[in-house]
Amino acid sequence: MTNHSFRKLPLAAALAASIAGIAGPALAQDSTIKMWTLNNTGYQEFIAQAAEAFKQTHPNVNIIHETFPGDQYKTSIQVALVGSAPPDVFFNWAGEDARRLVADGLVLNLTDLGTADDGFQNTLSEGWLEAFKYDGKLYGVPVDAVSVYLYNNVDYFAEHDLTPPKTFDELTDICKVVREDNPSTIPLPLGNAGRWKAIHLMTMLNERVIGQADAAADYNLSRDTDELFTDPGYVEAFNKLVEMQDAGCFEDAPNATDSELADVMFSSGASPMSWCGTWCMADFDPEGVNYDMTRFPVIEGGRGDPDAYFQVPEGYQISAKTADPELAAEWLSFLVSDDQAQKFAEILKFLPSNPTNIDKVEGATEYFKWAAADMAKYSAGVNVLDVSLEASVAEAYMNASVEVLNGTMTPEQAVAQIRDAAVQAQAAQD
Amino acid sequence: MPSSSNDALARRMRVAGLNGIMLAPAFSLVAVFVLVPAVITLIGSFFTFGITSSAWKWAGISNYIRAFSDPIFWVSLKNNFIIIFGSIVTQVGIGTIMATILDRGIKHGATVYRTIIFMPVVVSYVAVSLIWMMIYDPNVGSLNVIVKAIGLTPPRLGWLGDPNISIWMVLITAAWANVGFQMVLILAGLQSIPKQLYEAAALDGAKGMKAFWYITLPGIRNILIVAVLITTIGALKVFDFIFVMTGGGPANATQVLGTYIYLQAFNLGNMGYADAISIILLVIALILGVAQLKLSRRG
Repeated sequence: MTNHSFRKLPLAAALAASIAGIAGPALAQDSTIKMWTLNNTGYQEFIAQAAEAFKQTHPNVNIIHETFPGDQYKTSIQVALVGSAPPDVFFNWAGEDARRLVADGLVLNLTDLGTADDGFQNTLSEGWLEAFKYDGKLYGVPVDAVSVYLYNNVDYFAEHDLTPPKTFDELTDICKVVREDNPSTIPLPLGNAGRWKAIHLMTMLNERVIGQADAAADYNLSRDTDELFTDPGYVEAFNKLVEMQDAGCFEDAPNATDSELADVMFSSGASPMSWCGTWCMADFDPEGVNYDMTRFPVIEGGRGDPDAYFQVPEGYQISAKTADPELAAEWLSFLVSDDQAQKFAEILKFLPSNPTNIDKVEGATEYFKWAAADMAKYSAGVNVLDVSLEASVAEAYMNASVEVLNGTMTPEQAVAQIRDAAVQAQAAQD
Repeated sequence: MPSSSNDALARRMRVAGLNGIMLAPAFSLVAVFVLVPAVITLIGSFFTFGITSSAWKWAGISNYIRAFSDPIFWVSLKNNFIIIFGSIVTQVGIGTIMATILDRGIKHGATVYRTIIFMPVVVSYVAVSLIWMMIYDPNVGSLNVIVKAIGLTPPRLGWLGDPNISIWMVLITAAWANVGFQMVLILAGLQSIPKQLYEAAALDGAKGMKAFWYITLPGIRNILIVAVLITTIGALKVFDFIFVMTGGGPANATQVLGTYIYLQAFNLGNMGYADAISIILLVIALILGVAQLKLSRRG
């Protein structure tokens, strides 16, 4: 380097320092949070208004929101999280899928985040936070929970002098009465082409017959191999499914009927009952069908807790690769704040994890308020089998349900198939 | 060395260099998107890991052994062969008949018929699948209405819900979507056969089926080989129709290797096993492709 060059060095250093001084704070302020969610009706609107409101306190934070259909989501999120540009924040179901991401180190441990007064750890109850805790550490922020209810057409029931079923036998009796009145009327269309409608039903049948306490060791594969899924209650639960089918509850070809068509049968008045999620209210309300909702009935002699009921917590997780964990946590705290939880309920019609403003939700129907109140009364939430079971066991359960409905497999054979899958899954874990 | 030889060598080297430069972009793309993933797949097939796993566990050939003892693998393979042979019959077979009718049997409006038959080819497989799902629907589908109208009973479990017939219903859909392409391919071959051959054969008394058998078929032999090869490869890697229409169900009854690989890799988290099945599928495709080419050369 020449002497001339050396003379320029302090000048260059000063220039560089001044540029860094100018650019430094500006770069620090310009942050982006990429967020992935499902494409439920209203999600775009909800996040857009939340991002706008968040800007008031975080003017240089931009939220990029991308949505995906449910059937593609599980695959997309796995691929994205192992890639180089994963979303900072993403939607997920509490359960086996979330646990797998935790085990593979792809999501952030949130135990020490969101602890401010308005942070999610103070906004949400311990019961809700428990849904995303694995090995005692918090890995997600619950935003809502979905449940599944038995909907009934109030006008049809009044006209035919029927009352919503309180027991399983009453349910099958209603199916028979409907068929006797008009054999072509399908009392309770299932729509199991996607396989998840029957697994929702099996979730509650297992709960009513066996109960969570007795089933937990099978579900989490902690029971001795020789005893895995040997409880006769599993066969009994499938027998109850067959009983419903024999009573004429379902359509002839439930495994070839799309779930949306089954929902339309109810909302159009063609069928008097529907086994549908809390999300179905948003579809049924605009159709003007006069409906009521009840829990799935209890089964006489069953071991399940009658007050435990179907509840799938959903929430957001933060990628382990996010550049700014604190900012991502602040964004999540904001999303589950009192005002945003209210907006969430108003726009998406989902039951929020933060119920503080639930009474202020604009446009909330009586059914919405009833479901929100009812969910608060559950003695325990029952997670759906395809979310709570190990993936290969869940796959075996879904296929077994299909085969039992098709009559190509007996309940005993179905449980044997599930047991085989569970034994293999347990061996793979060891 | 004489100067002219040097010039020739230099020219050849320049050409070779130019060829290399021209090929480099295409080769790079093939390397990045085909060769490297293929090698990673081969390596992955000897390990146990999931899509989100941080560590791969050595598995040796256990993934391959597992495939051969996995009943769903065999169901998938059987379904692939059903689709291969079914597609050859329905797509190439019917395509040949349609092309022959259009070439020699229809005096007026051949272009209109050809356009109509070709139309499904330009529609995406996903859209075709959704349309046919509506037709097959057991509650509101038109196929049930037609079947009942002619006094028959539709399948109780539904066209796509009955494990005994669902794969055939998918096959029909695939045939509807692709027969137009095969027809146009074969029609091009038919139109290259000199008309004088038919005139001479007619003078010797060879008309109709005889002319088709002794003139038309030998005349389009090479085109048919290409059509069968395209159909075989397409059927072997079939995914869209199955994924959209049945998801491999009911209870794996319509599973094919493509959808089974997807299920194992992305839904069940068995990426190493999915890699092993992919390699097996590749080997089967290579064997079938080489066999067909050898057969065609022998002819």
